[in-house]
Amino acid sequence: MANILIAEDESAINELIKRNLQLVGHRCVSVFDGECAVYELQGHSYDLVILDIMLPEIDGFDILRKSGETPTILLTARNSLNDRIKGFSLGADDYLTKPFEMLELLARVEAVLRRTKKDTDQFTLEAVRVDFDSRQVFLGGLLADLTPKEYELMEVLIVNRNIALSRDKLLELVWGYDFEGDSRTVDVHIQKLRKKLGWEKKIKTIYKLGYRLEVNP
Amino acid sequence: MKRRTFLTTLILFLACFYAGILVISTTTYRDTVRRAKEQCAGEHYFIVSGFVKDVAALHSRGVDYTQSLDGLMRPYGLLAKNQNASLMLYDDGQRVYSNMSGSGGHTLRELKDDNRLVYADKAENKTYMEVIGRLPEPYDRFIVVYRSDISAIISAWERMKNTLFASGLILSCFLALCLLFLLERLFRPLSEISRTSQRIASGNFRDTRLVVSGNDELTEMARSFNHMADEIQCQMAELTAAAQNRQLFIDNFAHELRTPLTAIYGYAEYIQKAVTTEDDRQFAIECILMESSRIQNMAGQLMELASLRSDQIHMKVLAVPELFNAVGRTMQPRAAEKEVCLRFLCELATLRGDANLLESLLINLIDNGIKACETEGKITVCAAMQEKNPVITVSDNGKGMPGELLDQITEPYYRIEKSRGRRDGGAGLGLAICKQIALQHGGELSFSSHPGKGTTATIIFTTP
Repeated sequence: MANILIAEDESAINELIKRNLQLVGHRCVSVFDGECAVYELQGHSYDLVILDIMLPEIDGFDILRKSGETPTILLTARNSLNDRIKGFSLGADDYLTKPFEMLELLARVEAVLRRTKKDTDQFTLEAVRVDFDSRQVFLGGLLADLTPKEYELMEVLIVNRNIALSRDKLLELVWGYDFEGDSRTVDVHIQKLRKKLGWEKKIKTIYKLGYRLEVNP
Repeated sequence: MKRRTFLTTLILFLACFYAGILVISTTTYRDTVRRAKEQCAGEHYFIVSGFVKDVAALHSRGVDYTQSLDGLMRPYGLLAKNQNASLMLYDDGQRVYSNMSGSGGHTLRELKDDNRLVYADKAENKTYMEVIGRLPEPYDRFIVVYRSDISAIISAWERMKNTLFASGLILSCFLALCLLFLLERLFRPLSEISRTSQRIASGNFRDTRLVVSGNDELTEMARSFNHMADEIQCQMAELTAAAQNRQLFIDNFAHELRTPLTAIYGYAEYIQKAVTTEDDRQFAIECILMESSRIQNMAGQLMELASLRSDQIHMKVLAVPELFNAVGRTMQPRAAEKEVCLRFLCELATLRGDANLLESLLINLIDNGIKACETEGKITVCAAMQEKNPVITVSDNGKGMPGELLDQITEPYYRIEKSRGRRDGGAGLGLAICKQIALQHGGELSFSSHPGKGTTATIIFTTP
């Protein structure tokens, strides 16, 4: 759960980012030009800024200079090396080029937040409490016994909650590219996870697609 | 090249020079020998005629002159001695008198038909001119030989010849030096040109020029060389600008394409994967439709631009009021929507052009004007003759733009706002299309603008 400022002048894309981030439980504020972005950054404290470089009034690089300590992910259609280097040298934490995939955006946001957030990172869903720092899972106060792969699968599902993940995507994210097993492996692990955490209703099977951890935002 | 020119010139010159010296010395030699011959022949004749007279006098007195030949010859011998010559008398092949000094013998050459023989003879490192002459009848048994030493003359000639060749050698050396110097001077501009062209070839166009001074062929060449370098630099600059423009076009095109694509892809993914309500799905679908139509719009405009560039248009005589009416019908509602007052002033009856294209041109320009206008907007479209050319102007009192941007606004995808915001709509190709239409009509599209006061677009139809 983080406060995120989205500065992007294309309203369609701004809305898209906002909806995606809200799905995984972040609070979002949208601004459509540079001046508003600077105003928001000065008046409020944000955990992360998603910043388009080409903004009206004040461009992204200038905002980056003024934003100070706020973690920033730059978002742009320009994929030139110079722009990326300039962005990083001005203190950007990550860089995302259009067009981007939803999962990539969420993964980068999650990574930056985990790097920069100081308070302990926890996730609670009914009787389950996950402590990401110590990689421990508690079920009704008792330590649940998860294998490393089960833990990683659960983590991926939590990070991308409310978003369907295909079996191939899960294989890639949890087992890595070079894993040579088939998608049955995913099904087996999902079954175990459901049983161990009592998530039979929470982890939904999406027809023709994969699995989704559904959490009310 | 320089070396070859040097060697060729030098060899040619030396050949002519020495041939000249050779001709002169041979002629002089022949002349010298001929004169010596004549002189000797003259002496011989004088002696012979004197001697014959003496002999004839003795003979007429009945004295046996054969006994006193020696005495008779002596005065002539002394005379000849004075001339540095020796004299001999042969009687029937027998030498009866000789005053030849030295031990060297003398053999008489045989006289054939002639009574006299003159020839040069070399003996003991000396050259002699010998005249052998038979006495006239009845004393034709006697032969007088006059042998003159001409070594002095010959050696004088040799000295002269040697002097000639020696001075020739010195002159040749001098000439070679002069030639070297001259060629160095002549070839300096050439090597300068080659150095300069090397610098140009290595890409250094600016400040690499030849110094133009004087008024000869080389100056002319330097001038044309500089002109060539200027032209190349100019064309390089044009090409670079064209390449940059193209790159800019591609970059902009990619950007224009990427933004709607990102939205379409993103919303499709959203529908597929996210937990959504019916409202969410409707919203996403609307977004996808809108962005798709934007891409379609852009593709259409690109096609229009491309076809404008390649196709010939059909020019017809058009009635300007009709054109204005047609444009007005399309644009008045849009103008009214933004509370902009749109007026047409027509002082021109007809115009040659393609009705559809001109309509689209005016609609584009008026549309831009409407977008630039805020409250109390006014747009005036005016057709009139200016300096014999039909001119259409579209002026608004909108926000205007800085003058330095006016050159760029007709570039495809150029946007004054860096953010390339599209809240006003449009794919960024409108003015590029306008410019192309104006060009196709043999006209010129130009803009003048003051920030805060408004913009005027002017189309001058220069070719009737």
